[in-house]
Amino acid sequence: MASSSASQPSRHPTSKGVVGSQSTPTPTLKVANAPRELEREPLVLNNRSIGWITNAIAGVCENPMPMWWWPAFILSFGGMMTMFSLIAYLVSTGVGVWGLNQPAAWAWDITNFVFWIGIGHAGTLISAVLFLLRQKWRTSVNRAAEAMTIFAVACAGIFPVFHTGRVWFALLPGYLIPFPNANEIWPQFRSPLLWDVFAVSTYGTVSLLFWYVGLIPDLATLRDRAKGFMRRFFYGLFSLGWTGSNRHWSNYEKAYLLLAGLSTPLVLSVHSIVSFDFAVSVVPGWHTTIFPPYFVAGAIFSGFGMVLTLLIPLRSLFKLHDIITLRHVELMCKVLLATGSIVGYAYGMEFFIAWYGGSPYELYAFKNRAFGPYWWSYWAMISCNVISPHFFWFKKLRVSVVFVWIVSIFVNIGMWFERFVIIVTSLHRDYLPSSWGYFTPTWVDVMTFAGSFGLFMTLFLLFIRFLPVIAISEVKGVTPQADPHHPLGGAKEHH
Amino acid sequence: MNPALRISNNWMAFFAIAALFLTARLFGAEHTDSHPVANAVEHAGHGHDHGSAAESVSQFSLKQIAHSYLTAYMFTLSLCVGCLFLSLAHHLFDAGWSASIRRVTDTISSLLFPWMTFLVFPIIGFAWHGDLYGWFYTDPASDHSLDVKKVLFNRETFSVLLPGVIALLGLVGGTLRKWSVAQDKDGAAHWTSKSRKLAAGGIFLFAFGTTLVCFFLMKSLQHQFFSTMYGVYYFAGSVWVTLITLYILTMYLSQPGKPLEKVYFKRQQQDLAVLFFAFTVFYAYIHFSQYFLIWNAALPEETFWYVLREVGSWKWVGMTIIFGHFFVPFLLLLNQDIKRNMAVMVPVAVWAWLMHYLDMTYNVMPVLHPAGLKLTFWDPLLWIAMVSILGALFRRKYQTAAPYPLRDPRLNEAVTHHEVPTSAARSASASTH
Repeated sequence: MASSSASQPSRHPTSKGVVGSQSTPTPTLKVANAPRELEREPLVLNNRSIGWITNAIAGVCENPMPMWWWPAFILSFGGMMTMFSLIAYLVSTGVGVWGLNQPAAWAWDITNFVFWIGIGHAGTLISAVLFLLRQKWRTSVNRAAEAMTIFAVACAGIFPVFHTGRVWFALLPGYLIPFPNANEIWPQFRSPLLWDVFAVSTYGTVSLLFWYVGLIPDLATLRDRAKGFMRRFFYGLFSLGWTGSNRHWSNYEKAYLLLAGLSTPLVLSVHSIVSFDFAVSVVPGWHTTIFPPYFVAGAIFSGFGMVLTLLIPLRSLFKLHDIITLRHVELMCKVLLATGSIVGYAYGMEFFIAWYGGSPYELYAFKNRAFGPYWWSYWAMISCNVISPHFFWFKKLRVSVVFVWIVSIFVNIGMWFERFVIIVTSLHRDYLPSSWGYFTPTWVDVMTFAGSFGLFMTLFLLFIRFLPVIAISEVKGVTPQADPHHPLGGAKEHH
Repeated sequence: MNPALRISNNWMAFFAIAALFLTARLFGAEHTDSHPVANAVEHAGHGHDHGSAAESVSQFSLKQIAHSYLTAYMFTLSLCVGCLFLSLAHHLFDAGWSASIRRVTDTISSLLFPWMTFLVFPIIGFAWHGDLYGWFYTDPASDHSLDVKKVLFNRETFSVLLPGVIALLGLVGGTLRKWSVAQDKDGAAHWTSKSRKLAAGGIFLFAFGTTLVCFFLMKSLQHQFFSTMYGVYYFAGSVWVTLITLYILTMYLSQPGKPLEKVYFKRQQQDLAVLFFAFTVFYAYIHFSQYFLIWNAALPEETFWYVLREVGSWKWVGMTIIFGHFFVPFLLLLNQDIKRNMAVMVPVAVWAWLMHYLDMTYNVMPVLHPAGLKLTFWDPLLWIAMVSILGALFRRKYQTAAPYPLRDPRLNEAVTHHEVPTSAARSASASTH
């Protein structure tokens, strides 16, 4: 309840006695706290001390890995090796081992590329955009999300490079990377595929840098706690002589802020350029002006889906419930709901304009998506991306971690299908009915994609093994103790 | 003098010169009604019998008044839908910092019904009179692009659906305000819960309703044009101009002796400016994407819309929007200190209003004056009149309740928002431990 001894301007009769006297101003108004049911939960539960936070997070990578880690790692590693073996098979045999062929000359591989790039979006969004917007809840999830971003970008990069078949040409100077060469061969600068090379490599580099800068104080913490020589050496090497001095923190904060500012446009640019891969083509179903923001929203949607898929088991397996709380899960569900709704708006708007514009080709492309030979993929996409996030309107479902985890899997599946629908359904029936076809993936296609999850999970499991999965110093900064105005301000031990 | 202010003054001088140059180009351009490109565009894209743009339009004609009225209406509608979005977003995201200014956004959005609904009827009247929309009196059988959408694009549906959707949007805004005022009395949490539920449905109504309204009112001036981005484009511009309007309005209301004095602080002011900056970029991103994809594909059924807007001085209007709507606020607001500097922000606000009005003009007027920008006295008159009406209605309604949500559960966060420890304090705290 608002309360003040001061008076209120007469033209606002209902707030009389609330605002305060004009002649004797007080710095702030005393206002009652929120009712109990609307109180915000703290970002770190059970009033944990900063010592407890350090132990809980650093302990994950300091203690021996639990039993489940080894089978998970072996399985993931096996998947990764399968993928590399199949890539070797592709390179030695030719792209004919994949199912792409006219008219769907882009199919499985580009679907996988866009899928993984999309997943790589949540990390930078959480790191940069939510940091600039001062969303403190990000601190518990940003580190894992940033790591996920880098690993997802690594997975994404494989597909466009190897879909060229003779990969040595793709990697040679002049094909993808502009480089003066004797043959005067230059990339096609007017192609969004080349823009992708720059966008994705820039994004990957800045994301890696951002991740590393954020890691430095925590690496120093691990260095100071390390018992073995190897750990002390490597953590010491990568913590760059961090002492925690005021100057170090000052430089760190500036660098972090600048990198956040640099990364924010990248969140928009990468997937906008990926959308241009399609939207610049005059292909029904691809040439639509809403593609850039729609792809960005979809990428954030899929990225948060994967963050939830990874972090929900992680918090349980490492007992991090007090740091990755139900509030964090709930907030991420809300992001899924918001971005899922934007994606739903874009699906609707595409259909609406296909009808509104009066182009028979455009309308056919969309009818074909929903009711043509690939109807099952379209409705899988709609069910997973448009319907499933709307369960999150209900708080009970948002705080049910098992349910959230299942929905996050659906989001991952749905976003893969979205790219499949966009790419394959627009290509398999083009302007000439005589050249229509039906794309079917080969076993190599399927296993290469499955193997990319092996690569992703291998890297993620190694990340868990060697690096702090949560930003230790940042989480400490959002505890009540870090707030000098809080009664616990400065307190060190409150278990 | 404050160095930031000195730098900004140099910038202001630069932009003032640029504005003068552009103004000279805008009004110095030759106004020829027989411009060959304009005529070609007219025949290729516009193609309706009524309101042939190539013929000279008297400034006293109903056509001129109708288009000027529509431009002014779209501007004021932007402020109302922008405020509705901010109110809905506040509830959906359970925001804290904006609680103290929510009564302002609630009040402005509630003006959608009945006032903005009432003010749309003259547009419907002009349309029926044949002064605005060519498709109103075009036989669908003779126009494929109209024929395919005649279920939606017919006189009756337009006349019922348009005010209906605006009224519904207004009812959502009005209900949020009503429940917030009710909460002032008892402080019950259920008002907040109800508002969140209404915002959940309201955001969908907002998205599809605003899209439909801007399709009907602006896009259908050239009904052959289609772009999936158009609704987002109007939304981005609307929230942009709303944020800077709120910035100035709330600054005024928080002056000593004004009602928001004790609940609105520099930090909220900074947050509004940051959001304005974000929407400056977002608008540019949206508009660039739309333009780029249409230019790149070069399909005549899409490009005609922009080709018309590259004729005569319209090209310079477009250039002014590129520089004025994006580069000017973007470069100025990169500096953090400027976001709190009223000596800069007030001119930025005036500039933003001009730019948004110019943007609306760019959408509406080329249909009437294809040879180039032609301002008549109706344009400022109707713009000022419409904004004045909205301002007076806001002032009257705002005074009927408390100036901010007195017992909003998040008001405490809003009033203590500025007390969050600084980054330096956080750093010191973290390094200590």
